Amino acid sequence: MTKIELKGVSYLYGGKTPFEKKALNNINACIEEGSITGIIGHTGSGKSTLVQLLNGLLRPTEGQILLDGRDIWEKPKKMRALRFKVGLVFQYPEYQLFEETVKQDIAFGPKNMGLSSDEAERRVMDAAKFCGLGQELMGKSPFELSGGQKRRVAIAGVMAMSPEVLILDEPAAGLDPQGRSDIFGGICEYRRKTGATVIIVSHSMEDIARYCDRVLVMSKGQVWAEGSCDEIFSRADELEAIGLDIPQIARLVRLLKEKGVDLGDKLYTVGDVYRALLPYFTGGDGGAS
Amino acid sequence: MKKFIEIKNLNFSYEGDEGERVPVLHDINLDINKGEFVTILGRNGSGKSTLAKVINMILTPDSGELRIDGKNIAAELTDEELMAVRRRVGMVFQNPDNQLVATIVEEDIAFGPENLGIPSAEIRQRVDDALDTVGMKAFARHSPHQLSGGQKQRIAIAGIIAMLPECIIFDESTAMLDPKGRQEVMDTIEKLNREKGITIIAITHNMEEAVRGDRIVVIDGGRIVKQGTPKDVFAKPYELWELGLAVPQVTELFDMLRCLGADLPESVITEEEGAEKLARLLETK
Repeated sequence: MTKIELKGVSYLYGGKTPFEKKALNNINACIEEGSITGIIGHTGSGKSTLVQLLNGLLRPTEGQILLDGRDIWEKPKKMRALRFKVGLVFQYPEYQLFEETVKQDIAFGPKNMGLSSDEAERRVMDAAKFCGLGQELMGKSPFELSGGQKRRVAIAGVMAMSPEVLILDEPAAGLDPQGRSDIFGGICEYRRKTGATVIIVSHSMEDIARYCDRVLVMSKGQVWAEGSCDEIFSRADELEAIGLDIPQIARLVRLLKEKGVDLGDKLYTVGDVYRALLPYFTGGDGGAS
Repeated sequence: MKKFIEIKNLNFSYEGDEGERVPVLHDINLDINKGEFVTILGRNGSGKSTLAKVINMILTPDSGELRIDGKNIAAELTDEELMAVRRRVGMVFQNPDNQLVATIVEEDIAFGPENLGIPSAEIRQRVDDALDTVGMKAFARHSPHQLSGGQKQRIAIAGIIAMLPECIIFDESTAMLDPKGRQEVMDTIEKLNREKGITIIAITHNMEEAVRGDRIVVIDGGRIVKQGTPKDVFAKPYELWELGLAVPQVTELFDMLRCLGADLPESVITEEEGAEKLARLLETK
């Protein structure tokens, strides 16, 4: 089922001024309920503008954004309710932490939703669990935590509102490899437990290939392509031409093909390639050696 | 080879909220040669950036010795001498938007040399050379905000080169860039190292970038815990995972194949090398 549909969406910055710039031009796309969609694109391709439109922070200059089949701008006064349904985690969200304790910070969203304190408490605990934040951290000041922990507190704050659609703009930027996998682990766990639709903006092709079902490629304010990881990463040369890339492991597969070794298609993660190579190293039939 | 940076038994702590000392760097010993390209890896909070700031002389160590080209920084230097040493080590940060100050690209690059009181004819020359080095000559009269992330970062680098440093520290300078921008910046860094002989210290979380240097230094808990060539450091992936780090995807794959008994004595760190070895290995299958 389609969760979000964009119909002919355009967005103009600085309209009717000499600085007018069309950030998005006639975007048409559908996002399936329960999917994890990765949005990739070069700097300035319109990714961040797009996610702000989905959350109702920006209003399309033209076109419509439908959530569950209804135009999100149908009743602009109901925008607050929309933002509880569509949670947006900005880039470097840890700069938005402000409360005295981790728990209070995560609870800020649910409290503003007018939930009972029991319900808010339950949501805070669930969100903390998704993000791997232990009980011992709850009473601490968010400012005592490490960069990776702060980031997870900020993401938990949005998860605690139980959004049906969780959007994250570069959730792992600047984190070490362990921090990255903690963040993505938390996001996958949230999706698995709640069935939410997830949208992730990232510059890491490795992370997109590993965690996303669908990929939306933006270029120069337009949707350049939309499809599964297979469909998108099979167009390596074209991706490179628009400033993007494919995962390193997929580049290895491509180089091998040029040397006459064809391991097959749809190999975009280390696990994929390992499985494709297994028969060669375990007796030739892919079975036990 | 001549040493450019020498660090002996260096300790650094910062002041906590209640005035207590919070130790960050413990007993660091590290030499970096002139013209070397060193990558520093370490999890968030390991002390990498602090070390970079100590080398850049933004932070003063509590104890130990820091020598830049033989000059002891901790010793009594006059302000003027200290300024002269500082000029020899430049630094490029993560966010390009925080590093550009002027509204025109060439004016931005001129900002550094202007503050050094260099005659204007020479500034002109330095700006042109710097733009040429980073491949941004065509953008000299553009406004920085019209540029892509990678282009902005190259302008920030040009601003540093215009001060003619002998060493440049890159503190996660590619972290916010798209794949093309990353590539542009990494190519620029390599060019500065190879063609201009500039000593490079690059801090990164990207393991594919780390293989491009001569040596990797791994920091954890404020201590140097590992160092060597990229091949050596990535030889045992699990040791890096334990430090919150990772290895390039090809390295991981080859490690898994080795566990299957494949004849791969050495670690593989680039996809070109991997394709070659694998093609040869599969031929015999």
